[in-house]
Amino acid sequence: MALRDWDIVTRSVKARMFSSVTTIVTVAIALALVTLLVSMKSSARDAFSRGTGNAQMLISRDPSALTSVLNSLFYTDVPTNPIPWSDYEALSGSYPFAFAEPTAMGDSYKGHYVVGVRQTYFVNFFPIAGQPFGLDEGRVFSDDFELVLGSEAQRMTGLRIGDEISIMHGAPRSKGAHAHGEFVYEVVGVLEPTGSAHDRAMFSSLESAWVLHAFDRLLDEGVTLDRPMTRLDLEAQDKQITGVVASLGARTAALNQILARIGRDPNWTVAQPADTVRKLFSIVGSVDQILIAMGIAVLLSSGVSIMVALYNSMEQRRRQIAILRVLGASRWRVFNLVLTESALIGLVGGALGVVFGIVGGRVVSGVLEARLGLVVEPALPLPGYLGMILVTIVLSMMAGIIPACVAYRTSVVRALRPMG
Amino acid sequence: MMAGTALSIENLMYQYPGAHGPSVRVGSLVVGEGEHVVLTGSSGSGKSTILNLVSGLMDPTRGRVLVHGTDIHALKGAKRDRFRGRTIGMVFQTHNLLSGFSAMDNVLAALMFSAQPRREHDAHARELLERLGIERPGARVEALSIGQQQRVAVARAVACRPALVLADEPTAALDPEHARGAVEMLEGACRAVGAALVCVTHDLSLVDRFDRHRELSELSNEAGVS
Repeated sequence: MALRDWDIVTRSVKARMFSSVTTIVTVAIALALVTLLVSMKSSARDAFSRGTGNAQMLISRDPSALTSVLNSLFYTDVPTNPIPWSDYEALSGSYPFAFAEPTAMGDSYKGHYVVGVRQTYFVNFFPIAGQPFGLDEGRVFSDDFELVLGSEAQRMTGLRIGDEISIMHGAPRSKGAHAHGEFVYEVVGVLEPTGSAHDRAMFSSLESAWVLHAFDRLLDEGVTLDRPMTRLDLEAQDKQITGVVASLGARTAALNQILARIGRDPNWTVAQPADTVRKLFSIVGSVDQILIAMGIAVLLSSGVSIMVALYNSMEQRRRQIAILRVLGASRWRVFNLVLTESALIGLVGGALGVVFGIVGGRVVSGVLEARLGLVVEPALPLPGYLGMILVTIVLSMMAGIIPACVAYRTSVVRALRPMG
Repeated sequence: MMAGTALSIENLMYQYPGAHGPSVRVGSLVVGEGEHVVLTGSSGSGKSTILNLVSGLMDPTRGRVLVHGTDIHALKGAKRDRFRGRTIGMVFQTHNLLSGFSAMDNVLAALMFSAQPRREHDAHARELLERLGIERPGARVEALSIGQQQRVAVARAVACRPALVLADEPTAALDPEHARGAVEMLEGACRAVGAALVCVTHDLSLVDRFDRHRELSELSNEAGVS
């Protein structure tokens, strides 16, 4: 088979295998970073937006709106300031809410929050706008100490319908968390996946959460019961919640007015979840841009390493270039050979980078799903990936210009002088 | 230029930058088609420079070099490179093979720049290497013996069926017995393709093998005072 310029390029790359592979890997890692960040950017925003669902407002006693959203909708931490039930009743009676679902966070099981809610929570609150909770298996709890699992919580714990467990009073990984073997919870239902943080949670009745709290209170007071404790033993001080997920429904015209009125009351922190997530991303967006800028800087530095690798190889290749010139290759042809070689490094590095980026995206996505319950699907359209590879090739070719100039200017007579 | 001339040098002079006098001077030298000429001279007499001037790798300070009727220095850039690739074959003292490439690839590399149709390259290269006794055409040149490497270099030089082959001290690294064998092989390969051969050497024991022998000092004297 006749020899082509391409054969000379590939043989040249193979002849310097270590240097070529190192350069290709550098390019690939840099591009993987950029690909990962760019593809994560939009999908992460989508994932966060999904969790806010149809909640128009979140009312709590958290120190800020952002904390309130992160705690109540993304289960990042336990709200520290409880809300007495009477305050909730007063609040819910004061405004024309379509729904105002109380939530009580404070218990956990194997790293998953057990959230106290009412049955109506599953009817009123849609985790994804327009899409209510659905049951994958079983039913919603109808009594105390019955558990409904989010899909991710079920997957991670391996619990099945009918399983009985004891939960911890206290947040996951918190120092004060302690087991409550006295109370046996039964798994009665598993929710369909929503792609939001709610998949990571477990739900039981508000009263179940209150009973656990009351049990501890009685222990502290030195009171022991000679029978299992129930909701009938609860006192007003036991009935506390940590947040309210609320909506005005179609009466959105009054939203701003009501938000302002609640916001003026120093006892309440009110957040608009969608708006808060948007603000969060405007902050995170700057970090994104910094990270993408860093990725591009790494990509540029890998371009420099291509240049250095090719430039250094020129010393060894002057003789080869001179021989090709003697055989009839023009200066431009050897210039193009070197440029093609740098483009080849860019192509292979770029393609590998995209593959690494996709694989990395899947790993990050898996971690986010497992740890935050967020379904982030980092993906770009095909032209996006092809564009990334194209940009890498162009950058690599730019990096190859100086070595190609060295090849162009190689003195044949000097390079072919017998050595020694 | 007379018909049937492979090489014609007229009043050629080259002066290295910064040198006081001409480094190379050739009054006239005509090599006929298929003629084999040996040029001898001492070290530093400008033997290699003459070959570089003839092959168009260097431009003369003065004079003309016609290769197969074409003034090689009148050609510029890629045209001259293409002309050299198709008309001139070169053999070097150190062979200057493409390292990392096989014997076959080295010959194919020369054919890349020839006018020969690509589909014929493979068969032509294979046949040439076989004729010159290369037993392992697929082996990397580094794995071949010096003698085999020299044969590959000769095969590459004649691959494009050039009008002129230039050999620069092709036997410098060989003992007298091997030197004679190498020249025989070089001459045989050139005759097989009808190429003229201009060989520069300091080894006077080889001159009787060639059609004609010229001393560089004679050529220089014929050029007169510059």
